[in-house]
Amino acid sequence: MSLLELKNISKIYGELKALDNVSLHVDQGEWVAIMGPSGSGKSTMMNIIGCMDKPTKGEVLLDGVDLSKESSKKLTDIRRDKIGLIFQQFHMVNYLTAVENVMVSQYYHSLPDEKEALEALGRVGLRDRARHLPSQLSGGEQQRVCVARALINHPELILADEPTGNLDEANENIVLDLFAQLHREGTTLIVVTHDPEVAEAAQRTIVLEHGRVAREVVNENFGK
Amino acid sequence: MTKRRMSLRMITASLLRRRSRMLIALLSIGIGATILAGLVTIYVDVPRQMGAQFRSYGANMLILPKEGGELNDANLQDALQVIPGDALVGAAPYRYVRLDMTSRQQSFTAAGTDFSQIAKTSPYFSVEGRYPENTREILVGKEIADTIGVKLGSTMELTWQPAASQEGASSDGEDAPVDTLSGSAEGFGGGAVYVTVEVDESGAIASLSVDASTQTPEFGGQVPKDEAFLSQFIGMTPPVSEEDIDAVSGATITSEAVVKAVNGARKTSAPTQPRTVIFSVTGILTTGGEEEGYLFLSLEDMEAMTGSNQLDVAELSVSASADQLEGYVNAISEGSEGVQARLVKRVARSEAAVLEKLTALVFLVTLVVLLLTMICVSTTMMAVVSERRREIGLRKALGASDGSIRAEFLGEGLFLGLLGGVMGGILGFVFAQVVSVNVFGSSITFQPLLLPAAVVVSMAIAALSCLLPIRRAVAIDPALVLKGE
Repeated sequence: MSLLELKNISKIYGELKALDNVSLHVDQGEWVAIMGPSGSGKSTMMNIIGCMDKPTKGEVLLDGVDLSKESSKKLTDIRRDKIGLIFQQFHMVNYLTAVENVMVSQYYHSLPDEKEALEALGRVGLRDRARHLPSQLSGGEQQRVCVARALINHPELILADEPTGNLDEANENIVLDLFAQLHREGTTLIVVTHDPEVAEAAQRTIVLEHGRVAREVVNENFGK
Repeated sequence: MTKRRMSLRMITASLLRRRSRMLIALLSIGIGATILAGLVTIYVDVPRQMGAQFRSYGANMLILPKEGGELNDANLQDALQVIPGDALVGAAPYRYVRLDMTSRQQSFTAAGTDFSQIAKTSPYFSVEGRYPENTREILVGKEIADTIGVKLGSTMELTWQPAASQEGASSDGEDAPVDTLSGSAEGFGGGAVYVTVEVDESGAIASLSVDASTQTPEFGGQVPKDEAFLSQFIGMTPPVSEEDIDAVSGATITSEAVVKAVNGARKTSAPTQPRTVIFSVTGILTTGGEEEGYLFLSLEDMEAMTGSNQLDVAELSVSASADQLEGYVNAISEGSEGVQARLVKRVARSEAAVLEKLTALVFLVTLVVLLLTMICVSTTMMAVVSERRREIGLRKALGASDGSIRAEFLGEGLFLGLLGGVMGGILGFVFAQVVSVNVFGSSITFQPLLLPAAVVVSMAIAALSCLLPIRRAVAIDPALVLKGE
């Protein structure tokens, strides 16, 4: 069953075509990687899927709702309810502790629940680091907090932008293992990366070049 | 956990863990609130402070006899009951008469007054020497002193001439069966000798008292004490022959003057005879005003000379607002039969004008401080917003609506306002106290309402100052967090 469908979308900034007539289909529960060099349109695509931008042309269907027609207020609601975001720069609120950062996500979504937030941190192996401020956590730990924050509201889609870009290999593996776990639980994952190893962990890789889908690779070794 | 508790937790975390920036915002609100609270306190207190200051410029209220009425010490004291004790700085009674200085053939205006009150109602009086403390002492205006050349310790012989002379008095003298008569005659050295005679129904002398203060103390001055001399008059019916009276030895002329005075004595309620008293000058008065052309003596002397305790006017120095003064004036004028009160318009009006200008100035400064505080807080909050761009973008990416971003920043602003207000309320009072003590030289009382007022105003200022920064925060694009900024 299709969760996300991009139909012939273009994003044009003046002369520049950041995205040029791109179509993409992601099924419920699928783990997809999006690759491409800088300027290939990855970020623009990510913004559109993440309900933070609208295409100039074309339709974006998330769970059957056309995002290109919605107001930005409605897009905020959809992002909050359906999407968990993970960023390259970890992006934590620097004056809140790990558990409070997770609770911020709950706060905007529904109700803060410290117990549940602590459980989510436990799941990423940071139960004992819950009361630490971001400055007291390593990069890998911060990214794991962001994963916990992304999954706390049980989103249908987790959208990760270079989630391992700033991590060492050990932490990269921890994060990829977490993604695999989420995948097994049925969460749909879209991971933007330029690291082939990260892309290989996904079921399918979409390669963007010059705003177009250059090719699509299905990972034969997935799950092995 | 409720959303409210979480937002409170986030706000306190933001304030506590991002100390330096928030401290600046808190300081700007706190200092603004301090100055505002201080200025408002001074603003409220200025009339009282200045009221006390103004009292050094002299009387601002007069009490006068009504038309056909009479002012004296008794009804003056009644009238003063209207004014609360702490508002009444002083009340100086005055009686003005012309006194002649026969030796120079000049006459001067003399004011009988209460010297203990003058120091309060006219603090600007500058006396060389001292105020008179005893009877027969006199304070001389500088102008007079210069004209006639008197100095401290000099004596002045002054004579009171009754306005309506003797013709009315002489007709009175023969009607009444029991009477008090008074008379005078020239004694030794031209000084007057005064007598007061009581006569019985037959016209015979029942008692006699003599005032010989103008006479040589060792000789004529002894006459009033000489019982043997005085007792000779008892039982006689005037006119008394000089041959029937044995003069006091060494004071023949004075003794003869007593006889003449007794023979010339007339019945009066007020003396109809001129009376002369020798005063010693204890002080020279400098005021820079018309008072320098006056003589000042005690009311006791004035009454002794003129035989009347009437007053012309009482000058009051009252520390009160214009409205209160008006109230006292009306209460006195309505409440009393014989007297009326009036404001010294010149003083009262210029006080009001100065007060008005001063309060306008404080108000203006308050307004400027208010504006500066708002600009300062606004700038700080603006810096806070740009410093927290990423965080705001992140919050929005996590699903924060514009409304919740607004609420968070407003919440932080209000919290700062609350803290700043408490700080300002307390420090503001200290500030006002320091200003008051240094500028006005008096302390002020704490207004309990100041603290909540300071808190409410600071919170309002903080909220207003946050409006622009909040608009900027709301405009932040959540996508920026994905761009790796």
